[in-house]
Amino acid sequence: MNRRSDRIIGVLLLLFAIWYGYTALHLRTTLLTDPIGPKFFPLFLATLMGLLSFYLIFKPDPDPEWPSTDEWVRIVLITLTFIGYAYLMNPLGFIVATTLEMIALSLIFRGPLWPAIISSFVFTLALYGLFEIALDLSLPAGQLMKMIGLG
Amino acid sequence: MDVIGYLGSGFAVALQPFNLMMALFGVFIGTAVGMLPGIGPVNGIVVLIPLTYALHLPPESVLIMFAGIYYGSQYGNSISAILLNVPGTSAAVVTALEGHAMTLKGQAGPALAMSAIASFFGGTVSVIALMLFAPLLAQWAIRFGPAEYFALMIFAFSTLSSLSGSNLFKGLIATIIGLMLATVGLDPISAVDRYTFGQLKLLDGLDFVVVVIGFFAINEILRLSREIGSVHKLSTELGRVMITLRDFWNSFWTMVRGSLIGFFVGVLPGAGGTIASFVAYTTEKRLIDREGTFGKGDIRGVASPESANNAAANGAMIPLLTLGVPGSETTAVMLGALLGMNIIPGPLFIHNNPTLFWSLVASMYIGNILLLILNLPLVGMFVRILRVPRWFLMPAVVAISFVAVYAVNNSPFDILLMAGFGVLGFLMRINGFPLASVILGLVLGPLMENNLRRALSISNGDWTVLWSSPIAIGLWVLAIASLFLPLILHRVTPEGVTVPTDDDANVE
Repeated sequence: MNRRSDRIIGVLLLLFAIWYGYTALHLRTTLLTDPIGPKFFPLFLATLMGLLSFYLIFKPDPDPEWPSTDEWVRIVLITLTFIGYAYLMNPLGFIVATTLEMIALSLIFRGPLWPAIISSFVFTLALYGLFEIALDLSLPAGQLMKMIGLG
Repeated sequence: MDVIGYLGSGFAVALQPFNLMMALFGVFIGTAVGMLPGIGPVNGIVVLIPLTYALHLPPESVLIMFAGIYYGSQYGNSISAILLNVPGTSAAVVTALEGHAMTLKGQAGPALAMSAIASFFGGTVSVIALMLFAPLLAQWAIRFGPAEYFALMIFAFSTLSSLSGSNLFKGLIATIIGLMLATVGLDPISAVDRYTFGQLKLLDGLDFVVVVIGFFAINEILRLSREIGSVHKLSTELGRVMITLRDFWNSFWTMVRGSLIGFFVGVLPGAGGTIASFVAYTTEKRLIDREGTFGKGDIRGVASPESANNAAANGAMIPLLTLGVPGSETTAVMLGALLGMNIIPGPLFIHNNPTLFWSLVASMYIGNILLLILNLPLVGMFVRILRVPRWFLMPAVVAISFVAVYAVNNSPFDILLMAGFGVLGFLMRINGFPLASVILGLVLGPLMENNLRRALSISNGDWTVLWSSPIAIGLWVLAIASLFLPLILHRVTPEGVTVPTDDDANVE
């Protein structure tokens, strides 16, 4: 039974704690407002985290079941669609961007093509209607919609 | 005013048409998310938080709805447990054991009916207990100073860390990660910006909503993407969803014991429905399983965990509201939502917010009746939700999450943050770090630091102020004692059984 995962996480947490504490030490404090100031709490957390990370390094749990290559591919793909969505939301507008996002995810979850396209579009429209019209919360219409005169 | 008077005023609020609607909406969503494997009450609540802020809903309506989702999910989680042998949430693991065995014997209908009735029983008994106990607790809630609040938060962290995961140290690490996330932004006392990397958007700190949606909605999508292809065979032959009077009386004392055990386990800070259903079931097994029918489809084995997990959900309101100490992911998120509305759960909660507390209690009576109706005659309708294909359900959850995150402050940056926290939550969950602890750290972090600094300001930097009052000392002792609780629990559980961790969202 391998126990590598926790050891690696322990080392990463230790490095993170050092960075976090180092950053706290170099905070610019202007005037003393209270006995311990804004540095103390982060330094305290960094110390605790540093100590706890040694526990993981020296007493690691057995490795968990990590995703297989196939599963990683899907996980990375899904994450990429989120990043794409964040950048496309404003230019494309809510309806187009969300429909595309939903279609992509439906296909990653192995849905059939045409039902995926139709259900994604209908569901997006329903959400848009609910939020924009019924609840009056604004969602971006997008440059694309404005260009074709619908925005 | 006495209990009856308070309860009357509570019903006056809870029976307002809008609040009735919120209760119905809450228990309906609760049943649905509780039933769907992989989605739990926490997912339902996180995507609704931004909506409640944006629409400026009054706090009592929000609390009525969120509590409805929480206890409603304890009704729903048994449906998929019984029919598919896949518990909707981990609190139904034991129900799956017994209920699915009944389904295989062709008794799905009676199992579903027993589960609904036991849930109603547990729900109602525990609301009565909640109504009688919580105000008593509030009576001796003397004024807490900053030092006592600081000790109380240490207590909250230690109980949740020791009870909510399998490894105490990972629970503590998760708490510190949450506290570290809470330090991002402008320090309110000295106005120094910390860990913002020059990003203006981070000056206000990390948005709670963005973090929890990442942690609990996006994380679930990533996790469930691993399970593509596993198809559960859904038995649609429910038969008559009813039990005989004989079954009811046979299970009566089982339900009474289950409700009481569930309530008291739920009241323990840090414990929740999963532990409650487990303790109730093992107790019944020892007490009444003389013919060895438990595990082979004994209806009492459904009644016991179902009455217990519902009672626990209501009991959990006591530590949540009167101490600000949540016992699960769902209640940790509810704590954050309440703080976001400037409602501070704690010793003075009931005293300061009598309307809020009593309308919640009243709404629970109403909600449980609504749930009984939804889960007995209308259970066939819910079963259809189980047939919604995953390739549609998952993208729909993502789309709703995007809208929810976008509603917070219209920024694509938040979508990126949400995705980042989704991946972080996914990695943490795989490696056994409890997400509830991170959320609690994030939610309580600013309060904890402020109370510490205020306490030290008052005492001019004298640290002994933190343990100078009897209440503070008591809380420190309890906090340290709770760290050893898992060891004791480990000793008393019988051989060959593992206590499942209290994780509302999913089961592996």
